[in-house]
Amino acid sequence: MTAAAEKKPLRYSVRGKNTQFFSGEGVDELVSITMALAQELWVVKERLAAFEAVATKKKVFTAKEIEGFKFTPAQRAKLDAESQAFIDRVFFVLRERVEGLAADPDEPPAPKEP
Amino acid sequence: MTKYVHHEMKVAPTPEEAARQTFMSSMRMYVLLDMANGMRTVYDTEVAPKFERKNKRAPRDGTEVHRALKKDTFFKFYSSMRCNAQEMVFRSILPTVERSQDALNKKAKVLSRSKKAAGTIETDPSFVVPRSVAAIDVHRMPGNYDTEYGPDDVTQGAVYDNGISVFSMGFFGDNLDDIGSSISLFIKNKYPKFAPKRILDMGCTIGHNTVPWAKIYPKSEVHAVDVSAPAVRYGHARAQSDGVAVHFHQQNAEHTNFEDGSFDLIFSSMFLHEVPKKGIKKIFKEAHRLLKPGGLMLHMELPPNKMLGAYDSFYLDWDSYYNKEPFYKPFRDLDPEVVSENAGFAKNKFVQFIIPSVGQYGEKAVKDSVKKQTGKADDQTGRFAAGIHWYCFGAWK
Repeated sequence: MTAAAEKKPLRYSVRGKNTQFFSGEGVDELVSITMALAQELWVVKERLAAFEAVATKKKVFTAKEIEGFKFTPAQRAKLDAESQAFIDRVFFVLRERVEGLAADPDEPPAPKEP
Repeated sequence: MTKYVHHEMKVAPTPEEAARQTFMSSMRMYVLLDMANGMRTVYDTEVAPKFERKNKRAPRDGTEVHRALKKDTFFKFYSSMRCNAQEMVFRSILPTVERSQDALNKKAKVLSRSKKAAGTIETDPSFVVPRSVAAIDVHRMPGNYDTEYGPDDVTQGAVYDNGISVFSMGFFGDNLDDIGSSISLFIKNKYPKFAPKRILDMGCTIGHNTVPWAKIYPKSEVHAVDVSAPAVRYGHARAQSDGVAVHFHQQNAEHTNFEDGSFDLIFSSMFLHEVPKKGIKKIFKEAHRLLKPGGLMLHMELPPNKMLGAYDSFYLDWDSYYNKEPFYKPFRDLDPEVVSENAGFAKNKFVQFIIPSVGQYGEKAVKDSVKKQTGKADDQTGRFAAGIHWYCFGAWK
């Protein structure tokens, strides 16, 4: 057996029990999946930003150029700020709840559901 | 490299891995700042008034706040997302570390032999890692501090270093050493005649907060102990890369093999809250045994519950319930002054400080804080937020 074949893979999962915060079935798992999706979407957005930056800089681009591209500190700072705004949009429902607490509750009621 | 890991043990994330890491720092910022503030508003506006209407009084402590708030959907989202963010931080760096595993182990050996610094490393093949560490993935770090994937392995040291680089969102400073740098600078200015010849860092992990002591007291001999072999091996390589001599040992801080009265300063950072109460008491007694008369024991930690109001107690204790840090609340329920006294330190020798982060405020603010100590913690103490302050306590022998 080669050394590579003997090598143990790193463990990615966390041992032990986890709290289920929501009583509805599958809601905790949906939160996890949503966050992972948000992360992957961010990866795509950051990748696109790199494409755009290179395209602007060079007028033409190759895959190699994109792979090797490094953001300048100013570009990095801009992306960091944009990622905060991005997260705020994805999880907007939570902010809406907080802002709703301060809003004027003088809203005409909807008709009673049948 | 991961954003705050610049030394020779650094790893090279692919652009996609780096983007996942960037996202996780931003995500944690959102959960710990925006959502935490939102949860406080929900509590103040809805949950606390409801509690007061029902009970004709305000919640008395963190446990009552927790009980009242845990039924609220906002708390559930905050908690669920914070748990996920914690795990995703580590998953964002694991592929990079896994790919670099062999190179890191080789590099650690080279650095260990390098002449850049005269530090040493001592591990013990017969060492039994205590159950409080071995049986849990502390703060949801897969593999925890102690898993070894092969002989002389440093993997989990790298997982921790790169993990806290993403986790800390910049609050641990550019070299992840803000705690050690801020507190050592404060002590040097607070006690200008104190010149420790031998310093010990207990529960040092990768030595990121040990190195600043060696830098600020360059004539001192600095030792550091931890139960994790991968952490001390990695810490040794990391300090060597930094050109700083630190002597790392795989030892349990509850009972070391150093001689009585052999240290002038004993420090720890973010360590005690990961130790069961019995162990904390032993660590204080061990510090008392190891200190010379006139020596100082100093622990950087989260402020005890007795210093905080009900909501802030709840907020900090959250980790104990949900973040696989079961000893966090029991530690914070202790009175550090009483534990110090029970370990043999005189009551009038107890000290505690709240110190501004040198990375956020600069050296002048840390020096100025020597004369501005109020002994009162606030919601900036020990919390990742703009304006962070570090709490520490200890006693002179």
